[in-house]
Amino acid sequence: MPMDFSYKETWLHKINPSLKLLLMVLLFIHLLIIHNTNILINYMIGMLILYLFFTGHPWKRLLVISIPFLLIFLTSSTSMIFFGKGEITWAEWGLVHITEESFFRGLHLGFRGIIFAVLGIVFALTTRPVFLFYSLMQQLKLKPKYAYSFMAAIRLIPLMIEEMQTLHYALKVRGVHEEKGVKGFYNKLKSYSIPLLSQSIRRAYRIAVAMEAKRFSHPVNRTYFYRLGFSGFDVIFLCYLLVMIPLSYIIANHFPYFSITDVRYNK
Amino acid sequence: MTTIASLTNMRLKFSGMDSLLFEDFSLSIDKGEKVLILGPSGSGKSTLLQVLTGLIPNAVEVPMKADALIIPESWGFLFQDPDSQFCMPYVDEEIAFVLENLQIPREKMDHFIDYYLQQVGLDFADNHTKIQRLSGGMKQRLAIASVLALEPEMLCLDEPTAMLDPEGTKLVWETIKNVGEEKTVIIVEHKIEQVVDFVDRVILLDENGRIIADGPKQKVFDQHYHMLIEQGIWYPRVWEDYVQEKDWHIPTPINTANEKTAVHLSDFSAFRGKIPALHVEEACAHPGEWITVVGKNGAGKSTLLLAMMNLIKTSGTYYILEQNHKRIKHLAEYVSFVFQNPEFQFVTNSVYEEIAFSLHLTKWEQETISQRVNQMLKIYHLEEHKQTHPYQLSMGQKRRLSVAASIVKEQPIIFLDEPTFGQDAKNTFAILEQLEQLRAQGTTIIMVTHDLNIVKYFATKVWEMDNGKLVKESSASNYIETLQRAVIS
Repeated sequence: MPMDFSYKETWLHKINPSLKLLLMVLLFIHLLIIHNTNILINYMIGMLILYLFFTGHPWKRLLVISIPFLLIFLTSSTSMIFFGKGEITWAEWGLVHITEESFFRGLHLGFRGIIFAVLGIVFALTTRPVFLFYSLMQQLKLKPKYAYSFMAAIRLIPLMIEEMQTLHYALKVRGVHEEKGVKGFYNKLKSYSIPLLSQSIRRAYRIAVAMEAKRFSHPVNRTYFYRLGFSGFDVIFLCYLLVMIPLSYIIANHFPYFSITDVRYNK
Repeated sequence: MTTIASLTNMRLKFSGMDSLLFEDFSLSIDKGEKVLILGPSGSGKSTLLQVLTGLIPNAVEVPMKADALIIPESWGFLFQDPDSQFCMPYVDEEIAFVLENLQIPREKMDHFIDYYLQQVGLDFADNHTKIQRLSGGMKQRLAIASVLALEPEMLCLDEPTAMLDPEGTKLVWETIKNVGEEKTVIIVEHKIEQVVDFVDRVILLDENGRIIADGPKQKVFDQHYHMLIEQGIWYPRVWEDYVQEKDWHIPTPINTANEKTAVHLSDFSAFRGKIPALHVEEACAHPGEWITVVGKNGAGKSTLLLAMMNLIKTSGTYYILEQNHKRIKHLAEYVSFVFQNPEFQFVTNSVYEEIAFSLHLTKWEQETISQRVNQMLKIYHLEEHKQTHPYQLSMGQKRRLSVAASIVKEQPIIFLDEPTFGQDAKNTFAILEQLEQLRAQGTTIIMVTHDLNIVKYFATKVWEMDNGKLVKESSASNYIETLQRAVIS
């Protein structure tokens, strides 16, 4: 089964992967200290712009990927909306207790979930693993031992998908009927995972020996096929963030969507 | 002559094994020699290659000791499985990986990549091509290119074509002969037809890892002819000898005038996703026929089997024993299927349970089951391994088990996807003989194969596939004749 995952290369692809990774981590941390939903909404719009227009992937794929985002939003927000603490009651059915405070806190959590997801997916969609690990070796001094092991492991994934398909056919051919319930799930897990794992372990071992046979562990000063440095695209990305973040704060202050500026309870 | 690699009194033992794999083993190889190592599976041929290159014990930790050891300064190693010797996803990156290891400056890399690819006869419009998209033969040639990048004095080849089709095999050996001319080459292989002209020295090992014979190829072949047969080595005349020894008669289809048609396809198409992948205008198979499906890689042979097994989406008419396939609830009652990789077929934890599995599903009496299973264990020489986990069997045993487990219910139709792939001669003949017995009793066999000898000696009919279409249906003898005429003209 050939998997087509082609895309157009955009400026987001050309950012230094290590820098991109570091900035993403910083953004993650920064997100945790935003408690004003208004800022968060602006922030989310800023990130969605990157996701929708600059990843270079076709619309259909982007839409399919965003389905789980919605799920994240719904699950994380509703549980807080229904069961969170608050004083101004809007509705109450048994255990469910919706208050103004819990409603906004729920929304806030939902948005935060979406931003986390968008950031992660933007990174994943615009970074080739091979470049990431080359960059980690060159900029962040990651040991080649680890970098190449990861790259080799990534190669195993499409092989495993193919094997899973074959395994699925084989089980059907043997007349294995799908059982329902927990036991059926357990049996299914067992009949898939053991052959797949045994095959992968053998593969991984063989690849390791093959890498050694190509003198992998000898060199002290490796040369690199891809040399990754910094470029104007890094500056563009930095500028985008430096404009987008203050702008979210300013707009939230001057044109707020809601009057609540801190969603934390008792604050 | 200078010695390039040698071992004196080497002893080696794998953990968990009771005895030494090698004991006081000595061997010396001269520069420029082309050596072929033969021996039954488990005799330590691959291990020996790994010791000669220092992979054992440097990369693979196996307790090993030798009085003296010479390992060449530069060597290259070509492995069996095309899918598990690359660590990068693209062609250029893979060769670059070797160049990086050798600390070649970046500026020179592109030139070297082009150069080595050209040496193995690979020509891409863009070297940045996904390895995953290459055929097995191309992958192996790419592997040779990256081995050449090491500029090795000595090449070690561990059954490099065991997983390739005949065309890929031919190209890979041609490449090896081209690039290996000036080098020392050590080959482990049991299909020796292609290499026999290339090597000049043959070493024969027994199952205990001792050297039985070592010398010029003609001498070894003459003196130890019976050993080759016994060990199931594919020497050039193996088929002719087999036919002669067994007084073989090419099978003729049994009279089936009164019987139902086993398989009838008409205007039959199969789809991969939404894309049509296969079309069969009209084809029939009758009880007692052995049909081989032939064609190039990617011609749609395996797709045909998957489609007839109802595993992918199909349209058109398809009758099994004169019943519409859509009306049949459990196809497995009528048809059994043997996959290429036997491991993927195993669903239980012991050889016994594996064979009993489909009988349990049909709710046979416990006693009848055990009778039938024991009978199968005997026919397929698996009695001693009754309680063994299927994964712990040897390759040949796994294959026999997968066949036994598939046909235990004696379904009237058997589909097989290259069941003799990667098997030694002995195992191949054993499987073929068992299938022939079933055929003679009226089973319909439809089998994908690359091996023309099977077509010649076992098949009654041939389906030729090309580009997703069944292009020709002919009797096996006609097919072979046409081929021979084509070779002559």
